[in-house]
Amino acid sequence: MSVSTLLPPITLMTSLLAAVFIFATPEHRSGLRTTINLTAALIKLALVAIMVWGVFQGVDYRLSFTVLPGVAFTLKADALSVMFAGLSAILWLLTTIYAVGYLEDSPNRSRFFGFFSLCVASTMGIALATNLFTFLLFYEMLTLSTYPLVVHRGTADALRAGRTYILYTLTGGAVVLVAIAWLHGLMGDLPFRAGGHLHEAGADLQLPLTLIFVLLIAGLGVKAAIVPLHGWLPQAMVAPAPVSALLHAVAVVKAGAFGIVRVVYDIYGIESVAALGLLEPLAWLAAFTILYGSVRALTQIDLKRRLAFSTISQVSYIVLGITLFGPIGTAGGLVHLLHQGIMKITLFFCAGNYAETLGVHRIDELDGAGRRMPGTSIAFTIGAFGMIGAPPLAGFITKWTMASGAIAADMHWAIPVLLLSSILNAAYFLPIIQRLWFREAVNDWPHERCWGRLETSAWLFWPPLVTALMTIMVGVLASMPFSPLSWAELIAAREYLP
Amino acid sequence: MMPVLVITAVLLPLLFPALALVPSRERTMRYGLSLLPLPALAVAILSGSGWTLELPYLLNGAVWLLDGLRRGFLLLTASLWITAGLYAAGYMGAKHLPRFCTFWGLTLAGNLGLVMAGDIASFYSFFALMTFAAYGLVVHDGSSQARRAGRVYLVMAVLGEMALLAGLMLSASAAQSGMLQDLPSAIANAPDGDLIIGLLIAGFGVKAGLPLLHFWLPLAHPVAPTPASAVLSGAMIKAGLLGWVLTLPLSETALPQWGTLMIMAGALASVGAALIGVCQQQPKAVLAYSSISQMGLITIMVGVALAVPESAPVITPVIGLYALHHGLSKGSLFLSAGLAFPAHRYGRWLMWALIALPGLALAGLPLTSGAVAKLATKKALAPEVLDTQMSALLGPLMTAGALATLLLVLRYLWLLRKYARTATNHPAVLTGWLATTLLSLVGFWVMPWNLDSLPKVPGLLPSRYETWQLVWPMLTALVLAWMVSRFTPKTPPVPAGDGIVLIEPMVSAIGIKNRRGWAGPAGPKAHTARGWSLLKTLGDIMDTNEQQLRQGIGLTMLLLVLLLSFL
Repeated sequence: MSVSTLLPPITLMTSLLAAVFIFATPEHRSGLRTTINLTAALIKLALVAIMVWGVFQGVDYRLSFTVLPGVAFTLKADALSVMFAGLSAILWLLTTIYAVGYLEDSPNRSRFFGFFSLCVASTMGIALATNLFTFLLFYEMLTLSTYPLVVHRGTADALRAGRTYILYTLTGGAVVLVAIAWLHGLMGDLPFRAGGHLHEAGADLQLPLTLIFVLLIAGLGVKAAIVPLHGWLPQAMVAPAPVSALLHAVAVVKAGAFGIVRVVYDIYGIESVAALGLLEPLAWLAAFTILYGSVRALTQIDLKRRLAFSTISQVSYIVLGITLFGPIGTAGGLVHLLHQGIMKITLFFCAGNYAETLGVHRIDELDGAGRRMPGTSIAFTIGAFGMIGAPPLAGFITKWTMASGAIAADMHWAIPVLLLSSILNAAYFLPIIQRLWFREAVNDWPHERCWGRLETSAWLFWPPLVTALMTIMVGVLASMPFSPLSWAELIAAREYLP
Repeated sequence: MMPVLVITAVLLPLLFPALALVPSRERTMRYGLSLLPLPALAVAILSGSGWTLELPYLLNGAVWLLDGLRRGFLLLTASLWITAGLYAAGYMGAKHLPRFCTFWGLTLAGNLGLVMAGDIASFYSFFALMTFAAYGLVVHDGSSQARRAGRVYLVMAVLGEMALLAGLMLSASAAQSGMLQDLPSAIANAPDGDLIIGLLIAGFGVKAGLPLLHFWLPLAHPVAPTPASAVLSGAMIKAGLLGWVLTLPLSETALPQWGTLMIMAGALASVGAALIGVCQQQPKAVLAYSSISQMGLITIMVGVALAVPESAPVITPVIGLYALHHGLSKGSLFLSAGLAFPAHRYGRWLMWALIALPGLALAGLPLTSGAVAKLATKKALAPEVLDTQMSALLGPLMTAGALATLLLVLRYLWLLRKYARTATNHPAVLTGWLATTLLSLVGFWVMPWNLDSLPKVPGLLPSRYETWQLVWPMLTALVLAWMVSRFTPKTPPVPAGDGIVLIEPMVSAIGIKNRRGWAGPAGPKAHTARGWSLLKTLGDIMDTNEQQLRQGIGLTMLLLVLLLSFL
């Protein structure tokens, strides 16, 4: 066995082992726990970086063994999987740092960080899985490992949200399972492959393949929060801020979106999906979700709830990008996988900072918070402008690429959708920014804590600033080699020019 | 050397706001304001025939450049921001100073950057930066009028940005290129060219104060701090104009419909804004309408260039010249709105003379920048040069514009005298204003105008006939103003922002008002009482539906899974 075979499983094991060690760490040894956490996160980041370089050079990282006859467990790093793995490695490190500060002195931290690591391990598995069976395995593992995180606080609200969450995601998983089994029965074990498999399928399979596709999208759409399957997401925002950040940026919703990417590109192949006439309906569904999420976000008073509806809208950008037939649209959708993660995690970090430092949860309590917490508020402002799609930030690059893709694909109707969504984004983000900077604080903060020199604990202070800086850099330096945009273009080129 | 200078010119104002995070740097920030545009000024002065700078890693591959037209705009922008920055150093109070300086720096960075941008993505980035950062300047004083002005500004700005984005996206796709210079010919040949032109005209029109897109101007100018109004009117609305000139297919194909539309819009702006402007009660509102009126005259030129493509190479430099002239004199006029008058009699006279001169320059007084600009415009638009039905109308329109301009200036001076106070000015305020005035009256003559394409460049001394052409509308205006002040003592009050007062209630019903309701110090209670709002009702309905959906969906899915597993 060479290094190139072992790299994917080792990467996966770093988080898994970290989880095991953390579960075993006694509750009061927070220093040890933090050390394990951060070491594992750093090692994983390094490993993923090596794989990114390797994939760029064309090295084949693959590990495969047969579980049952005809069903293989396969891990492989291709361009798409290292993109997702890179996102989760970077954001895991930052979220871990953030969570250490956020949960300082709260109970059950070993449990929390253990499941936290498991959750990231599952994300890694989802990224590196090379067939639907392996994918589903980690997909379900993700569901089970996030549940304890959602209900971590143990309040009645949290338990109710957890119930909704598990009900939605387990049924979604079951639907995916049925679909995969059916597909397996029809076509056998299909490894993910750029260009897909199903253009070889006969005409008599059209109906079952269409049905399977609908089932797959319905099942994966639960996690990707496509309307009308999004009901769990706004509920789940009762979870602690680092969990919401992870849920919204990397883990759950992204797993759904990533699954859809895999199904469309690497199982069916974009051309067969288009031939089956399924691309257009999916595009309309995504467009509707984009607008619906934004309209719902407008009327939310709770900051995290508004962000949750914003996620529903933003994740469907990825789906819309996928359905814009052509390499440019694909690149736009894929790049948003990263961009949305970076921007949304910034916003959730900031929301957590306001809650932890000032006790502020509602938007109308944020008046004048910019003066009290300038660093956090700058990060929030950058994240929000990124979401609106203001240039030169990450969101602009997404929108520009997607709009160019829409024109190239002759789907001009997508442009008004993108613009309208931008306007709605502006309508629900700009008032918050206006409150932060241009209003006087009316009275004392609901529940203020002080940390001395910095505006908040250093653990909470730096992660949002780092991700905000990334929001700027991935936009400004979009044409640099290894920028998300360049990488997405690489993937798109491999998909369309096999 | 030049690349370093160019990058410094953008980065210095862009990074200057970081000082706001360091405690007790107020003094540095205050006096730093006027230094920020210095590298840009150096770029404008030192770059002779122009330069191109490629930054391939930036955005979609950035190219920054300077040519004759952009050089004029850069010169105007940099010098006006320097003098206004000096003025601001003395004018601004201590309250929220770091915040003001932050937005000042960001707006400036956007304004300078967009002038030098050669590719679409950089141009649009800087344009948006300027637009959004300027909100901070408009609402700075925090009063309820300022907040209202800011709201109108922001809504219109966002809509404008979106129109612009759509226009740029479509045209970039049509051109298969990211460079601004490739757009005009691509738009001229694109099948959806009309849509693109409409979007671009509207998108930039919000900045340039095109009629019906101008509402924010007369609201924002009076409430913004005086130095901010000066750069807003002097430099920033020119960005919209520059956008038109750079992107519209001016010298490609004849677009008579669009040309006529723009000429009519310009005519409406130049005369209509003057009529509304003379009814204003605030000095800076009058100046804001004067800016709309002047931009109307430039819009006419853009319209002619659209309709008669052969005239575009002649007209474009004249547009640059007119922008330079208007920017400097309007900047000076705006800065004078915040002056106090000295007690000494001769001092007062001198000050009034120096305030009035840029105003008269706007109206086209011989020996001023206005005379050069007006005569050049007349030459470029002369009926014998142009071949269009509108050409006969253009001469009278220009005359009416000149007449209207002087009326507005007189109204401004009259209002200024009404509110005049006697005190000593902060030396920085006085220097900033004086420097702008001198730039407008003297500095203008040494600036590069790039009028090589014009058959005869009007010089310092116009001929007797030309002088008469310039002077008679002014005399008429004087007589008219005298008659009006004599016989109708009361001006009918027209609210600043005219049409917006009709639109605002409708927008409120959608939900802006609802969101404002959350703000009040009364807290959560306030948002129930504020009357009907579309958004709130919609939100409630969707909330209920979603709840039902959540209850129903689990069961449905479960049934589905069971059913399928039987299969």
